[in-house]
Amino acid sequence: MRPASFEYHRATSLDHALELLHQFGDEGRPIAGGQSLVPMMNFRLARPGHLVDINRLPLNVIEIDGPVLRIGALTRHIAYFDNPLIAKYFPAFLDAVHYIGHPTIRRNGSIGGSISHADPTAELPAVAVLYDADIVVRSLETTRKINAAEFFLSAYVTALEPGEMVVAIEFPLPPEAYTGSFVELSERSGDFGMASIGITLEFADGAITKAAMVCSGADLFPIRAPEIEEYLVGKPLASPGSAEAGAIFAASIDPADDHIASAEYRRGLIAELTRRAIDIACTRALERS
Amino acid sequence: MNAERPKFIGARVQRFEDIRLLSGTARYIADIDLPNMLHLTFVRAETAHANIVDIDSSGLADLGFPTWVFTGKDTAGLSMKAHQDYPEMQYSEQPLLAEGKVRFVGEPVAVVLAEDAYKAEDAAEHLLVDYDLLPVVGNMEQARDPSIPPLFDGWSSNVIVQRGMKGGDIEAAKAAAAHVFKRTYKTQRQAGVPMEGRGVVAYYNPADRVLTVWSSTQMPHLVRTYISEELGLPESRIRVVAPDVGGGFGVKGQVFGDEILIGWLAMKTGRPVRWIEDRREHLIASIHARDHQHTLEAYVSADGRLLGLKADITVDNGAYSTYPFTSAGEPGMVGKVLPGPYDFRAYEATFRAVATNKCPIGTYRGVARPSAVFSQERLMDDIAKELGLDPFEFRLKNIIRQFPYKNVLGFTYDEGSYAQALEKMQVLLADDVAEAEASRTSSTKRIGVGIACFIEQTAHGTPDFTRRRVPIETGYIAARVDMAPDGEVTIDLGLQNHGQGLETTMAQVAADALGIRPENVYVRHGDTMTTPYSVGTWGSRGGPLGGGAVHVAATKIADKLRAIAAHLLQTKPDQIELVDGRAVQRDNPGSYVEIKKLARIAQRNVEQLPEGMGTGLEAHASVDGAPDGCYSNAVHAAVVEIDVPTGKIKLRRFVVVEDCGTILNPLVVDGQVRGGVVQGIGSAMLEHFIYDAECQPLTTSFADYLMPLAPEIPNIEVHHIETPTPLTPLGAKGLGEGGAIGPAAAIANAVSNALGVAVTSTPLNMNSVWKLSQHLRETA
Repeated sequence: MRPASFEYHRATSLDHALELLHQFGDEGRPIAGGQSLVPMMNFRLARPGHLVDINRLPLNVIEIDGPVLRIGALTRHIAYFDNPLIAKYFPAFLDAVHYIGHPTIRRNGSIGGSISHADPTAELPAVAVLYDADIVVRSLETTRKINAAEFFLSAYVTALEPGEMVVAIEFPLPPEAYTGSFVELSERSGDFGMASIGITLEFADGAITKAAMVCSGADLFPIRAPEIEEYLVGKPLASPGSAEAGAIFAASIDPADDHIASAEYRRGLIAELTRRAIDIACTRALERS
Repeated sequence: MNAERPKFIGARVQRFEDIRLLSGTARYIADIDLPNMLHLTFVRAETAHANIVDIDSSGLADLGFPTWVFTGKDTAGLSMKAHQDYPEMQYSEQPLLAEGKVRFVGEPVAVVLAEDAYKAEDAAEHLLVDYDLLPVVGNMEQARDPSIPPLFDGWSSNVIVQRGMKGGDIEAAKAAAAHVFKRTYKTQRQAGVPMEGRGVVAYYNPADRVLTVWSSTQMPHLVRTYISEELGLPESRIRVVAPDVGGGFGVKGQVFGDEILIGWLAMKTGRPVRWIEDRREHLIASIHARDHQHTLEAYVSADGRLLGLKADITVDNGAYSTYPFTSAGEPGMVGKVLPGPYDFRAYEATFRAVATNKCPIGTYRGVARPSAVFSQERLMDDIAKELGLDPFEFRLKNIIRQFPYKNVLGFTYDEGSYAQALEKMQVLLADDVAEAEASRTSSTKRIGVGIACFIEQTAHGTPDFTRRRVPIETGYIAARVDMAPDGEVTIDLGLQNHGQGLETTMAQVAADALGIRPENVYVRHGDTMTTPYSVGTWGSRGGPLGGGAVHVAATKIADKLRAIAAHLLQTKPDQIELVDGRAVQRDNPGSYVEIKKLARIAQRNVEQLPEGMGTGLEAHASVDGAPDGCYSNAVHAAVVEIDVPTGKIKLRRFVVVEDCGTILNPLVVDGQVRGGVVQGIGSAMLEHFIYDAECQPLTTSFADYLMPLAPEIPNIEVHHIETPTPLTPLGAKGLGEGGAIGPAAAIANAVSNALGVAVTSTPLNMNSVWKLSQHLRETA
C-alpha cells in the first residue's frame, strides 16, 4: 500500500500546469486534494509517473457568468454547504453534497478531481449529468466544453485526453419556477452510495412542465431517465405518480448483481429512491407556488 | 484491598495512560526506527490453492539498489505448529514461508528486504512466482465432501477435528418433550480490525548475544517462548517488547509466523529488520473470525421448560491452525458454552472445524461466543414466539436462579444475577415494547425490541487449559511490586496493556493495599526483560487475575510496612492501618509513621528495622483462575427502527445490564462494554469478509469491509449489578469481551420482532433486511 515511484511538480500557473501535462502525456496526472487519486496510487491501481500539483492555481471560484454558474475545478466540497448561489439555484446539488464522504474528504476533495475520477457512485458526476452541465477542459492548445452526458464513458473512464485537465464545470442557470431534490442511500453515512436519484422540476399552475432525472447505481456511470422525465410532464405536483415512476424506471434498468448487493435489491432501492426524490421535489415546488 | 474502606477500587479514576495516548507521545511499533535498518515486504500468495512451480528473483538484480530475498527454501523446516493433543485432530503446520504449496490468498511466499520501505515494495513487484493452480476447497459443504481431496498430505478428509460433549440423557429429554424445535443459524466470516495493524521489528546484538523483537502483540512472553523453541535460542537471550499497542481485540493474541521469521532474518542479515503491516495485509492475512453454522434442536415441555438441547456445530477454519488456541478452539468453545444461563439437564453437542482455502480463524473479541449466543438466543425467541410466550417470560421460566450451579456439562457457575438482570431490562424496555407493538400495523416503518441474555466464562486458569489440552498450557498471571526508598511504587505486570486501562486499574489496586495514591504507582508492562512470565492479555482475565496478583503482591509489602511501623510505634502489626500515606495506629490515630519513612528504613536506614527482618520492599505474586473460571452475566437489548422500503435499520437504543462482580473502575468498565458493543454492532450489521467461489477475497479495503462508524452508533446505556465472586482475590470477574458477545443476538431478535420473521443469519445489512421484509412490501 505504498505508491510506485513518481515525480512531483508544483504548477505555478494554469499555463504551467498545462505545459507540464502536455509534456508528460499519458504519464502525467494533475493532483488537487488527492482523495481519489492517492488511494488508487497506494493500491498501485494508478501509477502516474508525474504528479502536477495544481493546488495553488486560482481555480476555486463559484461565480455567475451570463447564463451559467461556473465552479472552478479546485472548489472544495465544503464550499457548497453555505454558498447562497447553490442554495438558490441548485437545490438538488445542495442535497447531494450532504452525502459526500466525511469532513476530511469534504475539506480536501475538489470538484475537478471528483469529475475526473468518475467513480460511478460519486455525487458530483451525477449532479453534473442531472443539470446538463458542461465540463470545461483545457490542454496546452485547446479549450473544449464537453456536455456531462458525453463526458462519463464508463466506471472511472472519461472523455479526457492525455494532456487535458478539467478547469471548471458550468451549470446552466434555471428559470424562476424551478426546484429539485437528491436522495441517496448507503450502508453507513458517508459511504459510496448504493444508489442515488436526482430530480429537477419546472412547474406552472400546480403541474410539472419539465423534468430531469439522474440515477447512480444502475449503471457504470450516472444515467438520465428520459422516459420518466417525459412521464412526469403534466403530472400535478400534489400527486405526481411517483411510485409508478419508480416502478417504471426500475423495470428499465439492469443494475449490477455482486457481493455488495443483489440486482433485485438495487432495483427495489432505486424504485423507492425515485419515488422519494420526486415526492420531495414536488413538495418543495408546492411550497414555492 | 483495604477491606474496611477501599478508597480507589471502584472509584472513577481517569486513565493515566490517556495523557500519553491522547497527546501523541505514545510510541507504537512503527515509531521504532533503528540505524542501518532493513525494511521488509511480504510477497503473498495471489491464488488460494496452488503448487509453487518457480520463484524468479532475477528481475531484482537490475533495480539499481540492494535487495535481499528469502523464500521457503531458505526457511525450510521453520513453521508454526498449533496442535491440540486430541486423537481426533489431524496435524498440520504452517511454514514461515510457503514450501511448495500455498493454501490461501495472502499466505507469505517470500520476503524482499531493502533499505527503504518504498524500495522494498517496488522490488517485491519484480519477484515472479509461477503457480500451478489446484482446485479450491471453498466452503463448509465442500470441506465435508469426501470426494474433494484434503488440503494436506496424509489427511483423510478436510475435517480437521470433530469432537463431542454431552451431559444427561438426551434421548429421554426428546421422548419427554411436547415440542421439538430444530433450527440452523449462521454467523458470517469477519476480520478483526484494531486501529493499529500488526508489525514486527527485530535486532540481534552479537555483543551480548541477545535477540530483541518488538512486536505489536498481546502476548510478549509467549512470543519469546515460541521463538526460543523454533530458533533454538535460550529464552534468557531473547527479549520481546510490545510497545504501545493500538488495540488488539484478540487478533494480536496469537503468535504469528512473521514474529519468528523476522527474528530469524535479523540474525541472518546481521541488521535490524522492520515490517509494518498494511491494512490490506491485515484484512486478508492476519486472522479471521466467526464463520459458524449451528444446527440446534431444543426439547421443550408442554409448560415451556427447556428439557434438552442437541447441537451440531461447524466452523470454517480456513487453511491453518493458529497458535496457541488452535483450530479446535473455536468449535470447542461453542460446544462448551451453549448451555448458557438456562437450567436444563440434557445436552449433546457435536462440533468440528473444517479446512478451506481461506485465511485461518483466530481469536477475536468474544471468541465463538458471539456466534454461540446468536444461535442460542435466536432459538429462545423462535421458541417463545411459537409457544406464544413473551421473550422475557420464557427466559425467566428457564433461567438459573440457584448458585453455585453445576451445569449439564459439570461446569460450576459462581454467584450471578441472571434473573435480576432480565427483570431490570424488562423494566427499562417497557415503553419500547409498547411502541414496537403499535408499529405492527405499518408496512413501511417497523420498530422491534430484542434481547440477548448470556453468561461469559472469564478468568480461565490453568485447569481449564489443561482440560482443553491447548498449547497455551497455563493461565496464571504474575506481578512484581516494588516500593522504592522514596515510597514510590513500581508494578511490573505480566499483562500487556493495549486499551484496557491497566496502567490505571492496577495502580488503584496497589494504592488501596498500600495506603497510598494511584498517582504514586508506575505500571510497567509488555517487556519480557522487566516483567514476570505470564501468558498475556486476552480472554477477559486481566482485571480478576492480574488485579488479583497485584493485590496479593502489594499486600505482602503492606504486611512488611505494618511490621516495621508496629516496631517503631511499639504496637502490634494488626493494630496498624495503612491509609493516606501513613501507617496509623488504629486506636490512637495521632500515632503514625509516614509510609515514605518506612520505605526509607526498609532500604536505606536498615539499622532501624526490627531484629532479623530482611531488607527491601519487593514482592512477587501470581494468581491463577478457578477450575471453571468465574462467570460474568449480562442482558443486552436493541431497539431497532426498520425502513421497510429500503431495508435500512436505525438503532434507536442499545441497553446493557451487566454484572462483572467487583468493579475496579466504573469508567473503564463502561468503556470496555461500549467498545465491545460497537464491535458487536459491526458483527451484527456490517462487517463481512467475503470470498468468491475461487477463494479470492473481495473485501480488501475499508471501502468494502465496513466497520461501524460513529454516526450509526446510538448512545449505549450501561447499567451495573455487582455480585462479587469468591473465586478471585478482589471479587472481580472478567468483562473485556462481554460487550461484543450480545449485540448480534439482540439486534437479530429486534429485527425478528419488528418484521415478524425468523432471522437465521448475520450480517443484517440493508440488502438482507430488505429481503427479510419482502412479505410486508407484498401486502402493502
